[in-house]
Order: sequence, then C-alpha cells, then structure tokens
Amino acid sequence: MKLNRIFSIFCFVLLGYLFLGFMVLPLFNTLSQVFTVKNAAGETDIFMVFKFLYEGTMSGFIFNSLKLAVALVLCVNVVGVSIVLLTEYFDIKGAPILRLAYMTPMIYSGVALVAGFQFLYNSDGIMTTWLCKVFPFIDSQWFTGFNAVLFTLTFASTGNHSLFLRNAIRTIDYSTIEAARNMGAGPFKTLLKVVFPTMVPTLISLTVICFTTGLCAMSTPTLLGYDSINPEIVRLAGSSSVDEAFPQARAALLSIILAMFTIIQLVILTIYEKKGKYLSVSKTKTKLIKQKISNKFVNIAAHLYAYVLFIIYMTPVIMLIIFSLQNYKAIEAKTINFSAWTLSNFVGKSDFEFLTNRGKTVIREGAISGLFANPDTISGIRMSFILSAIAAALACVIVVIACEYIFKNKNKKRAIIVESCLMFPWLLPTILICYSYRIFFNDNIWYVFGQNLYYKENVRLLIIMAYTVIKLPYAIRMIKASFYSIDEELENAARNLGASSIYAFIKVKLPVIMPNVWAVFALTFLALFSEYGMAATFHSSYGKTYSMVVKDMTVEAGRGGYNVNAVGRQCASTVFKMILSSIILLLVYGLGSMDLREKLYYKRIYKTKLKSMLKFIGFDKGKEK
Amino acid sequence: MIELENITVKFNDFEALHNISLTVKDGEFFTFLGPSGCGKSTTLRTITGFIPLCNGRIIVNGNDITNVPIEKRNIGIVFQSYALFPSMTVYDNIAFGLEIRKLPKDEIKSKVLEIVKKVDLSEMHLSRAVTELSGGQQQRVAIARALVTSPSIICMDEPLSNLDAKLRVGLRNELKRMQREIGITTIYVTHEQDEALTISDRIAVFNKGNIEQIGTPNEIYNKSKTEFVCNFVGDINKLNEKIIDLMQLDKTKQHYVRLERIQVNPANKDNLLVLKGKVKSSEYYGFYIKYYIETPHQTIKVIEKNDGINLFTNGSDLTIGIAKEDIMSY
Repeated sequence: MKLNRIFSIFCFVLLGYLFLGFMVLPLFNTLSQVFTVKNAAGETDIFMVFKFLYEGTMSGFIFNSLKLAVALVLCVNVVGVSIVLLTEYFDIKGAPILRLAYMTPMIYSGVALVAGFQFLYNSDGIMTTWLCKVFPFIDSQWFTGFNAVLFTLTFASTGNHSLFLRNAIRTIDYSTIEAARNMGAGPFKTLLKVVFPTMVPTLISLTVICFTTGLCAMSTPTLLGYDSINPEIVRLAGSSSVDEAFPQARAALLSIILAMFTIIQLVILTIYEKKGKYLSVSKTKTKLIKQKISNKFVNIAAHLYAYVLFIIYMTPVIMLIIFSLQNYKAIEAKTINFSAWTLSNFVGKSDFEFLTNRGKTVIREGAISGLFANPDTISGIRMSFILSAIAAALACVIVVIACEYIFKNKNKKRAIIVESCLMFPWLLPTILICYSYRIFFNDNIWYVFGQNLYYKENVRLLIIMAYTVIKLPYAIRMIKASFYSIDEELENAARNLGASSIYAFIKVKLPVIMPNVWAVFALTFLALFSEYGMAATFHSSYGKTYSMVVKDMTVEAGRGGYNVNAVGRQCASTVFKMILSSIILLLVYGLGSMDLREKLYYKRIYKTKLKSMLKFIGFDKGKEK
Repeated sequence: MIELENITVKFNDFEALHNISLTVKDGEFFTFLGPSGCGKSTTLRTITGFIPLCNGRIIVNGNDITNVPIEKRNIGIVFQSYALFPSMTVYDNIAFGLEIRKLPKDEIKSKVLEIVKKVDLSEMHLSRAVTELSGGQQQRVAIARALVTSPSIICMDEPLSNLDAKLRVGLRNELKRMQREIGITTIYVTHEQDEALTISDRIAVFNKGNIEQIGTPNEIYNKSKTEFVCNFVGDINKLNEKIIDLMQLDKTKQHYVRLERIQVNPANKDNLLVLKGKVKSSEYYGFYIKYYIETPHQTIKVIEKNDGINLFTNGSDLTIGIAKEDIMSY
C-alpha cells in the first residue's frame, strides 16, 4: 500500500515537471516572442508583428493554407464517400479488389507518397507524358503548386474514410434500409434519407481531420512547392534577423494562428460529438446487403467511375514498384525498359563510369548504391527507427500507467487533471510544439540542469520528447477505450485470489489490453517513422530522419557522377515503406487481434501438422514402437 | 462462522446499507434474496472487502476482518460475470491463486486436477481458452477457481443468472450437492425466489438496504414477517375490505393469502369462507394452471395441478374456499 502511494506521488511529480518544462514554458516563451519585438528605434513594440501580418506576405500564407484546407475537405469527402459507397453500399463488380486498391494510401503516406507522385506526375513524368499523349488538351505542367498539392493530398487522405466510414456504414441495421424500400423509397432516396444520416457523425470527425491535414500540411507543400503556413514557419525558424525582419517572432505568430484554427475546429467537433443523435438503436442488427443500381446507365457510369479511381489509386503503386526495380538509365529516361531490371536500388553498390566534358573517362566508386547500402539512407533509417521506437514505447508506457490511475480514480479531480495534461497537446499544431522546443531549448536552460537540448546530439532527446508529447493524445484516446472494455470484476477476482494490486494489473489486466497497446505502439511507430514535419522543424544534422534523407535524396542526383541512382533509391524507399507498413498492419490487425482461443487453435493445427510431417519423414517411428 | 455487526455503507450521500446485522453458521448455505438495488450484492462485497464499510464490523471465525486487505481475507467468490481471465487457459485460471501462494508446481497440478473432478469438468478442458467453453462450463471453472485455494467461506454473486432456464435448474442442484460434499460455508446472492427457496438452508430477505427477515425457506414463504417479504416471495392475493369484513379480520391490517392455499370446489366447507365465482381468464404453466376467479367481491388467483381433473374453461362456474389460518396479516 505504502509502495503504491510512493509510486503514485513520484509519477505525479514527474508528470508535473514534464508538463511544466515541455509544455508550459516553451509555449509561454513562443508567445512572449510575439510581443517583445523591437522596432527600428530599439523600443519594444507589441503590435509590430501584427502590423507585419497586415502589410507583409504573412497573410498570403494563411490564405493559401485555408484555401487548401477548404478545397481538400470538399475533394476528400467526395472521393472518400464515393469509394466507401462503391465498395460497401452499391453492388459493384470486383468490389474486394477495388477496396484493396482504395486502401493503398494507408501503406505509403507522407514523404514517400509525395515523392512517388512527384516522380510520376511531373511535367516529364511517365504518367503526365502518357496522359498528354492520350488527352492532348492536358497541360504538361498541370502537376505544380496548388493543383499538385490538392491532387496528392486528396488521394493520400482517403485512408481514414476507407477505415472509419466503412465501419460506420457496416454497422447500419439493414432492416432500416429494407423498411425504407418497403415503404417505396428507391436506392438513392434510401441512401440520402436513411443511410447518410447515420454516417454524419463520422463524416464530421473526418472533415475536421481533413481540414487539419490541409491546414497543417507540411511535406506535400514543401516538396511540391506551395506557399502554405507550415513550410513558411520552418523557413522562418531557420532564418536570421540579418536577412529579414524578426523571423522568429513571425514564425511564432503563424504557429499561434494555426493553434487558434485547431482549437476552433476541436470545439466544433466536441459540440457535434455531444449532439450525436444518429446512433443506431437496434439491438438485433441484420447484415447489410449490397444495393443493385437498377438504372442501367447509372450502373455503367458508377462502374466506370469506380474503375477510373482504381486506376488512379493503383498506378502509382505499380509504377513505383516497377521503377524501383529498373536501372538508373531507365529511370532517368522515365520509361519502362523491360531489359533493365535490377536490385541495385535496394541492395549492393557498384561503380559508375562516365565521360567528363573534357573527354576523360572517370570512374566514381560506389556511386550506384542501394537503399540498404547507402550510408545516408541507412543512417536515416536507423535514426528514424530508434527515435520512433523509443517515442512510441514511451507514449504507450506513460499512457498505460496514466490510464490505470485514471481508471482507479474515476470521477475524481486528480484523474481529470492527469487526463487533461496528457490531452493538452491535441489542442496545438505539431509545428508549434516543435518550434517552441527548438527556440526554448536552444540555450542553457536551468530547468533541464543547465543543458542545451538543441545542441549536437542532444537534439535527438528533444525530437523523442516532441514525438512522445505529440502522440500522447492519440495513445490515450485509443488505450483508454480498451481500459473501459475490461470487466471491472477481473481485478477484484485476482485480488480475491490473493494478488496484490500491481500483480493483478500486470498478470490480469495488462494481457487483456496488450493487443490494443501493441496496435497503438505499431501505428504510432509507423506514423513517426515516416514523419517529416517535426524533424524538419528541428532541422538538425544530428537528427536527420529517414523522411529528410528521402527528401534530400534527389537534390544532388547524378551531378558529378555522385548519387547516380538517387531517384531509383527514392522509389525503392517508397516500396520499402509499403512493405514495412503492410507487415506492421498485418501484425496489428491479423495476429495482434487474435484472442487466446484463436491462438490456441492455430497452435493445435500447427502441432498436428508438424507431427504428421515428422511422421512422414520417419522421426516418429520410435514412439510408435 | 460469519458475523456482520451493524454494517453501514455509503456511496457519497447515498446510504446503501443501514445497520445490517446477521450471523451465518459454519457449513451453512445462506442466501441474500431481494430485488435489484436492495443491497444484497453490496453486503456480499463488504464481506470480500471490495466495498469499505462506513460503520460496523465483520467477524469471521472470531477474527475481526473489517480492515484486512482483500487479498488477505481468504474468502472465495464466484462473480455474476464469472470474471475469468480471458488471457489465460482454464488451467491457468484455476491455478492463479495457488501460484500466488507460491506452491510447488506438482502440488498446484494435483490440486487443480482434484478440484476439476469435483466440479465435473474433464481434464481435456484444462488446456482450452476460457472463451471456448459453454456458459455452464465457464461457471464450473469460476467455482473451481474460487474453491481451489481452500477458502474458509465462498461467496456467490448471482452465479446462475447468465445461464438459460434449464441449465440454471440443473446447476443449482449441483451447487447444493457440491456445497454439501465440501461442507464449505456459502453465501449466495440472488433475486430469484425459486432459486433461494430450493437451495438455501437459511435466507435473508433484503429491501432498500435493510434486512426484512432472516429464516428458513419455509419460514420465509409461509410465515413471512413483513408485507414486503410476503409480496416478494411467491405469488399472493391481497384481500379487499369486503372479504376482510366477511371473514371478520382486523380492519387495521392488510391481509394476504397464497394461491395454493385457496381450495377450488371444496368438499368440506367447515371453517372456510366460501365464495361463488366464474373463471375470468387463465394462465397455462404446464404442470399447473393459474386461474383468475371473478367473485362478487374481488378477483382471486388460484392454482390447480394440471392433472386432467380440475380443468376449467373461461366462464365456468365454481366455488372457492379460504381458511382463516392461511391468512397472513400485517
């Protein structure tokens, strides 16, 4: 009992220390920057930055971000809703294959996806070249700026629709649809009046997520060249007052504006979540049966639309896999050469021989190197792997301990305080948190024992802290839900049988929630592994993550005979990300979600198989005797 | 022996138990009976230590255990939801308590096998996941898990409520058999009066955090101490003023008579109040039939064995007889 108490006091003090040091102080520092700007006369002018907001270019970035967010909400919802309806509600031939194709953005998001799209759709990219041949009216420069960002983000962001909206539509009680049809409503009328209202709460949440994606987009506008808020914050954060007027204060103001937008959205979301009145009331649900589109013309149009989307989703995946296996010459020419297959983009090193301007043949040793043979990519992968794994593990451990505490002290003030502290980062854009860390800790700070956490290798600790803090709200939402699904009597049962509180938690409750914790760990790790925005905000060569390496890969490609197959390596890195994500998702949703019954079942099957195999080989003869 | 002395439990401002006192004898099958929210489960959970007391004492075999931590009480419990650990096999579930006591592995195994036999599970079940078992089998695992550590008392919180009707009847007889064989003091919580009456040595009837009556099943049923008990246990007729007048009963009290005590078409009418009536409606229960008889004064419910002799159709004329000694008055 005493030990329990000491442990909970220790955790409380630690949480307080971390919340103050890694949330309140850095944010307060950022906020104070905005109001302590000095004018030309050296006097502090509170309104200086605000004047700049009106007169300078800053408002342009805000407008661009808002424009992107609004356009993205429209596009993603149209595409997202239609792909879910096509695969789940209407009877479209080949729906399982379509569904798989529509889910592909889930396995290669972030920089990997943007780089892939850029490679294929650029003015000289293979897709644009093909498109221009088939449809001569298409401008070869279409994939630039706003269009490119919107196109890429639209197809990258429908993953959430595929997951959550699909669940929503599958939980509809089919009897309600039958009832509507029975009363004379056609399939589209039923869709509008019965099915759609049940999807509204999920759609609102997805809309908010989508708006945030647009507003806080980082890697896509950076890579495709679109002036939105986040890339500008990162640029300003790294700029000096010699080059332009108070860049840091402007960056701070921009991130605070971003935070305000986020908070407004969250308020709207919370209000709608509370209003939720479209929940199904049925206790005996019947499974949804797909609706046939009776009008022939509409049916053909729907099939056509579904397969056009299929092509849009699948082409980049297939193309990137093909190009990752092509040699540098084929990639440079951006054409598929069926006699130029190679694995050199993945593994191995080879020398590159080329003719200089002076007519001299030069051999550049190891200029062609695979993803796993190139020192830059390997160090990036290693860095991302370590930082993401530590941060994901930390977030999970903190949240599991906190949830146990919250659960034990339900409805008590101290539980609410702990939960609020951990949910707080949800209110803030990730860039604001990272920016605040970068500025606040780039000094010898007394709070962290006089250390400069931005200096050299220390920045890795800072990145881990940022990663952890930003993933806490997600982890707590997911893990808390699993805590509430535990039968409360389980702990009582264990304690009744003589187990202490801690033993009961470790032996009984933890195994129950562990599949969920693993899922949160895996998904957090995956998200952080390919994360770009935060690492870019820190912009330190000591914390160069995988995404930053991927982004930089093509910059010096081929120049002077160096990095000859950089683009191929980039394709390979996208494929690597796809494989990694697929394995992790398979582990989480396949093996991880198995209960003991299923595990024992498979164990039994494999045991019998092994026995019969041994018998077949002749190992079991001794026993038979 | 378990003694509860003036137990009071509060949840914030709400007093869930008011001064509960009772004594359970060694080896007794003692049932807490009452409607939902009456405090029966709360009382049970104070004994196991899940709910702290505001006032009062709990004494087990002469030792005051009021402030003993849950894990040190050595009182077994079977939960309504069974609370079997889903991440463990049947064997691990049963062995859990023994492993905490750090018994040698061989001893754990022999104890598990022994208890498994007693609760009628086969060894084949031991390597299974608990979710693979049927409701009845899960129930047996829960009982085995509670008994294997040889607790001094076993508590059962509505352990049969998750099972279907037929299995429930079968298992409650088995529970009683097991209890008799092992001889363990058992406290049983239920809201089913049939279950309480068939299984218990003694019953405490709870109502709104108070005990209304403690007694044997026969005392509870036939000599209900309070109006609540007589209404809650079994079906009953409440007599109206006219019948009270006719029978010359105390008008300041309420009077009740059980359905099976009313005689239909009685041969001997001595010492009976005889009323003429018509069958208004009936409810068919298989081995008996309940008739609603409309007399000139009030509708009276009676039951008749479904023996093929006294079968009445709606509108049939008949007479009923009520004996004074069968009246329960409050």
